[in-house]
Amino acid sequence: MRIVQYSYPTTRSLSPLFNLASRSPWTGLEDEMNRLFLSALSNTAPSATGSGSFAVDLYDDKDNTYVRAELPGVKKEDIGVELVDGFLTLQATRKQKTGEREESFSYSRSIMISEEVKADQVSASYENGILTVKLPKQEESKPKKVSVSVN
Amino acid sequence: MSFLKSLIPSTNSETSLCEKQGCTESASTVRPRYELDETPEAWALTVFLPGVDKAGLEMTIDDGQLRIVGRRAWKNPGSWTALYRETSDAAFELAIDHDKAVDAEKVHAELADGVLRASLPKVAAIQPRKIAVN
Repeated sequence: MRIVQYSYPTTRSLSPLFNLASRSPWTGLEDEMNRLFLSALSNTAPSATGSGSFAVDLYDDKDNTYVRAELPGVKKEDIGVELVDGFLTLQATRKQKTGEREESFSYSRSIMISEEVKADQVSASYENGILTVKLPKQEESKPKKVSVSVN
Repeated sequence: MSFLKSLIPSTNSETSLCEKQGCTESASTVRPRYELDETPEAWALTVFLPGVDKAGLEMTIDDGQLRIVGRRAWKNPGSWTALYRETSDAAFELAIDHDKAVDAEKVHAELADGVLRASLPKVAAIQPRKIAVN
């Protein structure tokens, strides 16, 4: 569901003379399109300062699953990584100082990890604003190679 | 025509930049998130460049434009397969027209944890001046 902003009727659009003289069937379409584009874009692009979510990438190799999260401007000690019941929860707080004003933004995100993970060997590193979490796979969830001889 | 261009710097900045740089970068770059704050003496620019280190950052300032290009330091080691992606590998590029209002000599910038903070002091001509009244 999307809440559409109510546009206040102007005297121009309400005036009967204006309607008779020059109202084309396309009047207002442009505004409608602009609003559609704006609302569509605002859903994907979070505001620069806003709290909330952040972009995450998931990678996989033979032994590990990796989660890379974009968390620019966050101090290492303000990052929390938790693994509970197959859900990896990443929490971060970004503190920003502009002049005397200090602001704090919280981000949180949970990602479902479908692989069986060695929970005690999970490690994380933070560099250049990117958090990388390494989740070693359990032995049984690694792909097993079975050779079948064909007679 | 050149008179017109000198009047409206923003009309020629794009083309002159392309001539100089060859426009190789702009084909596959993303615009980073950024904030711009203003004080009477300067602008404070904050650009979010996750994954960019000092070596991959390029900041140039010329007559009418400030240009920031940030290349991501991390490369997929090859054995990693992407299961799900929300980010892109494309470099960040941000160009801001300032119409010669920034004192290029005094620009100061630092990059930490993927955030570039730059202070762009205004040229003396547009800074507020107190006028003594007799």
